[in-house]
Formats: sequence, structure tokens, C-alpha cells
Amino acid sequence: MADTALSARRMPGPRLAGWIVLHVVIVLGAVVMFFPFLWTLITSISPGVGLTVTPALWPENPSLSAYETLFTELPFARVVGNSLLLAVITTVVQLVTSSTAAYAFSRLPFRGAGIVFSVYLATMMIPLQVLIVPLFVELKTFGLLNTYLGALLPTFASAFGIFLLRQAINQVPRELDEAATLDGAGHFRIFWTIILPNIRPALATLTVFAFMGSWNSFLWPLVVLRTPELQTLPIALASLQGQYTTEWDVIMAGSVVSILPMLALYIFAQKYVIQGVASSGIK
Amino acid sequence: MSLSNAQTSLLDRSRPAARPRTAGSRKRRYALTVLAFLLPSAVPLALFTLGPMVAALWISLHEWNLLSAMRFVGLGNYIDLLGDPQTGAVFLHTLYYIAGYLPLVYVGGLALALALNTALKGRSFLRGIYFLPVVTSWIVVALVWRWLLNPSNGIVNAVLAAVGIQGPGWWTDPAWAMPSIILASAWKDLGFVMVILLAGLQAISPDLYDAAKVDGAGWWRRLFSVTLPLLSPSTFFVFVISLINGFQVFDQVYAMTGGGPNGASEVVVQRIYDLTFRYGAAGEASALSWLLFVVVLAITLIQVRGQRRWVNYG
Amino acid sequence: MNRRLLGLVGVAGAAALVMTACAPAGDSDGPVTITYTNFISNDGNEDNLQTIIDAFEEENPDITVEVTTLPYGDYGTALQTDLAAGTVSDVFDIEYANYKAYQSSGVLAPLEVANPDAYRASLLEAYSTDGTSYALPSSFSTVVLFFNKDLFDAAGLDYPSSDWTWADEEAAGLALTDQAAGVWGDHQPVSFYEFYKVLAQNGGQFLNEDGTAVAFNSPEGIEAAQWLVGKSGTTMPTIEQGQGTPDFDTNLFKDGKLAMLHTGIWMFGAFADVPFGWDIAVEPGNTTQASAVFSNAVGVSATSEHIEAATKWAEFLTSSTTMVDVRLDSGWELPPVSDEAALATYLEKDNPANRQAVFDSLDNVALPPVVAVGQTEMQDIVTEELIEAQAGRKTVEEALASAEERINAVIGG
Repeated sequence: MADTALSARRMPGPRLAGWIVLHVVIVLGAVVMFFPFLWTLITSISPGVGLTVTPALWPENPSLSAYETLFTELPFARVVGNSLLLAVITTVVQLVTSSTAAYAFSRLPFRGAGIVFSVYLATMMIPLQVLIVPLFVELKTFGLLNTYLGALLPTFASAFGIFLLRQAINQVPRELDEAATLDGAGHFRIFWTIILPNIRPALATLTVFAFMGSWNSFLWPLVVLRTPELQTLPIALASLQGQYTTEWDVIMAGSVVSILPMLALYIFAQKYVIQGVASSGIK
Repeated sequence: MSLSNAQTSLLDRSRPAARPRTAGSRKRRYALTVLAFLLPSAVPLALFTLGPMVAALWISLHEWNLLSAMRFVGLGNYIDLLGDPQTGAVFLHTLYYIAGYLPLVYVGGLALALALNTALKGRSFLRGIYFLPVVTSWIVVALVWRWLLNPSNGIVNAVLAAVGIQGPGWWTDPAWAMPSIILASAWKDLGFVMVILLAGLQAISPDLYDAAKVDGAGWWRRLFSVTLPLLSPSTFFVFVISLINGFQVFDQVYAMTGGGPNGASEVVVQRIYDLTFRYGAAGEASALSWLLFVVVLAITLIQVRGQRRWVNYG
Repeated sequence: MNRRLLGLVGVAGAAALVMTACAPAGDSDGPVTITYTNFISNDGNEDNLQTIIDAFEEENPDITVEVTTLPYGDYGTALQTDLAAGTVSDVFDIEYANYKAYQSSGVLAPLEVANPDAYRASLLEAYSTDGTSYALPSSFSTVVLFFNKDLFDAAGLDYPSSDWTWADEEAAGLALTDQAAGVWGDHQPVSFYEFYKVLAQNGGQFLNEDGTAVAFNSPEGIEAAQWLVGKSGTTMPTIEQGQGTPDFDTNLFKDGKLAMLHTGIWMFGAFADVPFGWDIAVEPGNTTQASAVFSNAVGVSATSEHIEAATKWAEFLTSSTTMVDVRLDSGWELPPVSDEAALATYLEKDNPANRQAVFDSLDNVALPPVVAVGQTEMQDIVTEELIEAQAGRKTVEEALASAEERINAVIGG
């Protein structure tokens, strides 16, 4: 959308008033939206927040003692490492499984493809919660409970990712494939040299979503990872609340640690995330 | 989705450049290629989604504490569930959540999208801020809001007290527990809804607005006769996703209230978890899982059918 | 709150090393590491447990005990999940109320007790089935009436005694409550564990004869529930005032703002240093006296690879002289031993002076009702419904009727 419509200087009175109100509301809204993050940070450096004290907006004696507690008294470094490991593996595997499946559905017609694709999409509607008991039993049979692999396996295929990448591959002109075919390229080469380089934005979007999904996932890791040294961030945070019921500085420090990596990724990939969400809604 | 090209027969796709082979070996080779591309995703989906789905149905017909041998009880678990007042209560709480959450994020998200769709300075920065909670984990959101809404020394009640209002007990009060969860959830998802609606808005041709203006339509009139009808596909998407996710609400409830106080905010998934891992009733939990799945499926199908009446794909 | 994960960090590191280093050898040769998950040391007795572990490891240099301590509230779910997952520790705590369910599920290893005579016979028996022990009692404790002597003196009231009834308690509670000063007369948790007991104090039955349905929705039951719930807002703080949150009652007592408190003798240590005089008495009854006895036990996992070493630890934890000394010294519940002489030293200690009340309370014991299926859910439902009545969202009659309906649905199937 072009920025021609509104410029404060050229506006007549009532419109100028509306323009100001709009800006004030939007900026105030943004402050309200952002404030919880700020408050989290402030609380985490305000030691001694107990049952009755509300921290000051500007802490009088800022201290990193809550962070020290996190990393010295709790296996928090290990927990962060676990979360990173699981998120990276999930992301890589989902990129592989989603892109290959998306290629098949976009470029490799076969009998029953429609039905298979519908089944894939239908799995999006099956909540993981429905599967908790049987998955638990299944992984127990395989001896994979309380292992990284057990936490990972159910996340390996993502119907959302397949859908997203299929849409992207459909946008790649078929003339490119056909030209490559004439040069004698097979499907694997076309996939690798033509398709993948052409859907980089979609791959970036999926990367962010897969990472985010794993980094933030809770219920399944809660059930499957039983020992403290295997726990991921959300689980450690939830149990932190049981350990430090009223020590809000420690709980908020844990929250800050959990937000930061996601925040970093988000700042780099903001464009892709927002585009990804936006495009998922247009179809 | 279009399936027409998928139905194309295999032979149509044979490549002129391919070395002459018998049709059979070419077919086999092609089938192997398709398999190679599909298997990496098909195997996990079959093993960890579809298979367990069927297994859940089987388990739901048994009484089982995950420790002793399973005992077949037929539809006993379903009958027990339907007779248990707690089942109705958890579905009600879940509906309460959806009924509070959905209007809040939709109206809020729409207002934001409309505002940000104008030429605002720093628009993408603001959009980034509004979107930030979306990438934050539910557990963190729950903890942060538990702290903001802490009745004794949380900032919200401190601000309320400063203007002379006695703040409620929020998540410690049964009457306020679900509103607290709704508030936190709406904060997290507002940016998500905003972005989807913003994309929808930007797809609307400015000509339509100009035409409406020529006809003398005011801002509200344009909103209701141009914007909302043309935004209906995005709205539909928001509703479908929100309902599917709403029925699965768990993380924020677990971390914020644990279903309490005194069960006032216990939702369906919390009940499934408790039945399985607290009460050792895995069969009943699986039955409740299936009940949940059927409800979600039915509501989604109803929405998909109903969309023809109000969704405008222009 | 205590930092109970302190030890875990070290344990986690050690576990990672040990897991790779330790070959799955038999029990008899080579060093073994066994794991022990507990809630009994949570919230104040972690060091006492460590003392017992240290003594055990010194006596058995080949065995290392790794301990995990969980809050009581999380323990049941964690144990059930670990049992189902097969990730349960070699040795773990169980409560008397859950013994039956776990034993019949086959998760408890049958134990060969080296020295059964060391235990109080009735306690050992409580954890055996068909003559075989499947768990060892680790302690027992009773719930008594704690009272703040200074507050009673200031009001010129007589201290509670063993011939008190509910009426005496209520009268004193009302006289001692001074809401303006934030001082409360009485505190008794509104929960399953209190309800089954006051029901017994009122001559009521919790379950019917064959245990297939509840029997508490009776005039006695309604009166008992009324007694419990009615304290809220008169002699006891309301939920809005914080009642029911963790440690609320004990902190109120420690602050000198609570005259009477119904709680377990495991609080002796925590109250040792309060700046006012306090003592205990047997809980008042109504038609009869009845006291709650809590007994915890440890079981050995049937799937443990080190059953022999695990049993050794379980037995040491529950019957060694180190354990007896530690428990008696710190007032950490009572050791489950048969040695009356050892217990005699307990009586000689001061603060509280009336330790005889602990043993007197054993004369009239109300055991918790136990069902084969749905124990935890039954307990949760009673607590939930009583709190509904306490909060005024239901009448006591409605709450009990609703509890009856819900529980029968759970335990009858």
C-alpha cells in the first residue's frame, strides 16, 4: 500500500485529530503489549521479591542473583542445551520430511495422490493430546521413553510444513523443471538444484515455525522426559514455579532465559514469520 | 484444493528425453521415486499419528491403569464419562475459554489490523512488537501473567489500587481464574490474528473503497459493507484455527492455575492428563480423547459447510 | 521455600557419568548405584535424610544412593507416570492409602526383610499382603492440636486438654479470634484427610460395609462437614484471606497470630524456635475421639536391577539406629520401630512438653478409607466439594450429595 494518503501537514483539522488519536492509541497499545516483557526483565533483576513486595519500575539494587540461582542451583545450562538440541534436530528433520513430501504432492502425480494428501492434511486436526496414551505406550514398547529420541519422533513430520512448502513449490514455474528435464536431470536433481533454491523464503518460514514449535512444546516432553537432566525449558520453568513459589525474581529470570533465543531468532526472521502466518491465512 | 492434475495418468508424464525402456520398468522406477519422496514423512505420520489414533480407540474400550493388565469393558468408559458431571464441567470450562478468547482476539486483532493498514510511521516496527508474544512459549506467557496478575503484589492490582480500585483475586479466585487465562491467551495471540487479517486487508482493492466513498459511505458503512465481507476468508481461517486450538487449550492452564482453584478452570485436556497420570485411568482418558476429537472434527466440518453462507471468496 | 533441587544438580551430573560407567552387573559384586525418590524429606528434612544416606553408604561402601526429592503435591502424578514409563526409581515412597492399588498392580517387589522384629508389628503388617511384605513402613505420625500458650494466657483461657470436645474448641476459638488484630482462633485444613477423621469423631462411616459406595452423606457426615467448613470466616481465615495456600497456616502460627492449629507432629522441628510458648493436645472429638495416623512406607520397584541392594537401603532407611536417632533428634515424625526404649527418649524431650499426647492419640485411631480403584480421585473429589461448600458456592448438603454421586461413579465401576 502506498504511503500517499496520509501526511499530517496536509490534513484538515478533524482528520488531523483522528490521525493523532490513532497514533496515540496504537503506540499506547504497543506499550501495553510490550510491558509484560519489560516487567519480566525488571522483576528478574529485583532480588528479594517475595510475597508482598511489588518491584519498583527502576530497581533500587539491581542484581543478577536470580540468574546465579538458576545456573548454579539448578541444571539450567543443561536444560537450555536440551531445548536447543531438540529444536535444532526437529527443525532439520522437518525441513527434509516436509520438502520431500511437498515435492511429491506438487510435482509427482500418482494414483490416489488426492486421498493421500487429504489424509496428510487431516492429521493437522488430530490434537497431540488425543495421542498421549497410545504414544506413551508405543514409545515404552520401543524403550524410548525418557530419551531424546522419544521426545523427537512424534515431531518428525509436520502436516503444516508440508502444506506450506507445497504451496510454495506450486508457485515455482514448471518451465524450470521442464528445461532441467531436457538437460537430462532426474527428479532428485530437479528437487535439489531447482526447487529448493526457489523456495528459500518458505523454507525460512518453516525453519522458524519448526524451531518455535519445538522450543515451546510442553505436554509431550512433560510426559516423555522423566529425569531432570533431560528436561527442556518449558518443563523446567513450570517446575520452577513449584520450587520457588514466591521467588518471582528467579521465575522471571528463567522466563527471560527462555525468551531470549526465540527473540534473537525472531529478530532475524521476523519478515519470514509474519509472511508465513499471513500467507497461511489467505488461502 | 485442486486434485485434477493428480488424477492425470502416469503415462502422460513420461519424459520424451528418457532413454527407451519398457513401460513396466519406467513405471516401477517412477513409483520408487514417488515412494522415496513420500516415505520420510509418511513413516512418522503413520507411526506416530495415525497408528496411535487407532490404538487410542482400542485402549478406550479397556480399563487400564498403565500398570496392570488391560481389562475389556466395551463402551463402559464412554458411558462412565457421559455420566460423570466432571466431563460436562470440563467441556463447559473449555467453551467458556473459547467464548471469552475468540471475540477478544478477533475484535482486538481486527482493530489493530485496520489501524496498522494505514500509512503509519514505524508500522513494521509496531507490527513486530505486537507479534512478539506469538513467538513466546505458553508456559512463559502463563508465568508472566501469573506474576502480572498476582493478587497480593502483582503490578496490575498495584496499578488498580493506585487509582482506588480493589483488584480481584485473579487466578486465585474461582470466578476470575478463567478470565485471567483468557486475558493472557488473548495477549499472546493478538498479534497472530492481526497479521492474518492485515494480509487479508491488503488484498482488498483500494478501488472498492474509492467507489464506496463516491457513493457517500462513511467509515463504519465502509467497514461493514466492504471490509468485513471481503475479509471473510481471513476471518474464517481465524475462527477455524482458534476453535481447533481452543479445544486443545492446556499449557497455559497447567502453568497458570493447574485447573484450579478447586477445579474452576479445569479444561478437557487437563482432565485427560489427570485421568492418565494422576488417577491411572488411561482407558477413560483415551475415551475422553476421542470424544474431544469427534467434537473438534464436528465443529470444523460444520464451519466448513457453513462457510458458503458467509465467506466471500470473490 | 527451600531449594530442594540443590542436591539434584550434583546428582544429575553424577548420574550422567554413572549411567555410562556402570555396567548392569548383578547385585553381589561391584559397586552399584540405586535411586531413591521421596517426598518425606521435602520442605525441611532434606539434611536429615542425607545424614541417613551418609551412614548407609559408609556401612555399604559398594552402594551409592542417589536421591530425588519432590514436593508432596507433585509426587503422586510423578510416581504414577514413572511407574507407567518404567523409569521409576529403585526405591520410592508410598502412602498407606495407595499401598493396596500399587501392590495389586504388581509394581512392588516382594521383600525379604532381614530383621522383621525391628518393626512395630502392626505397621509392618499394614504393608504386607498374604504374609509377604511389599513395602516397609518408614515412619508414622499423628495429627494433634497445636496451641499457642501465650495467646491462651493473654485471654485467660484454659489450655486445650484431652477431654475437650468440639464445643470447647469452638468456644475457645471464638474467644481468641480478633480479626481486627489479624489473630485467629483456629485452623483446620478443609480436605479429605481432615474430613474422614472428623467424620469418625462424629461416629460416622465413610464407606459402606463392602466398600463399594460411600456412606458419608448422613446426618453425622453433614454435621462433621459443617464443623469443618463452618470454621472458615468465624474462627479461621477464609479462602480470600489466603487460607488453603501452601504454608499459610504454619506461617500464621509461627507469626504468633494463630491460637490453635490442627497439623501433624512433623511440624515439631519447624516450630522449635518460635518466640512464644506452645504445646500440643489430643484432638477434641465430638461423640468420640479419633485421631489421624499417617504412615509412609518405601517400596522397591519390581523392575529394579538391584533389588538386593535396594532392599538393603529400604531396610536401613526404615529400621537402622541412625534413622531412629535422626528422627527422634529432629522430631521428624516417629520411627516405625518396635523398640519402646528408643521411643522413651522421645517422651523425655521438651518442646512440646506434652509429648505423651502423641502416644495418647494412638489409642483412638481413624484409618483413612481405602478403595481398590480411584483412591486419588476419591480424595480429590472430597476436598473439591468441601471447598465448594467452604466458599459458599454450595451448601454442605449439596456438596456431600455431589461428592457422593461423583465418588460412587468412580469407585463403583
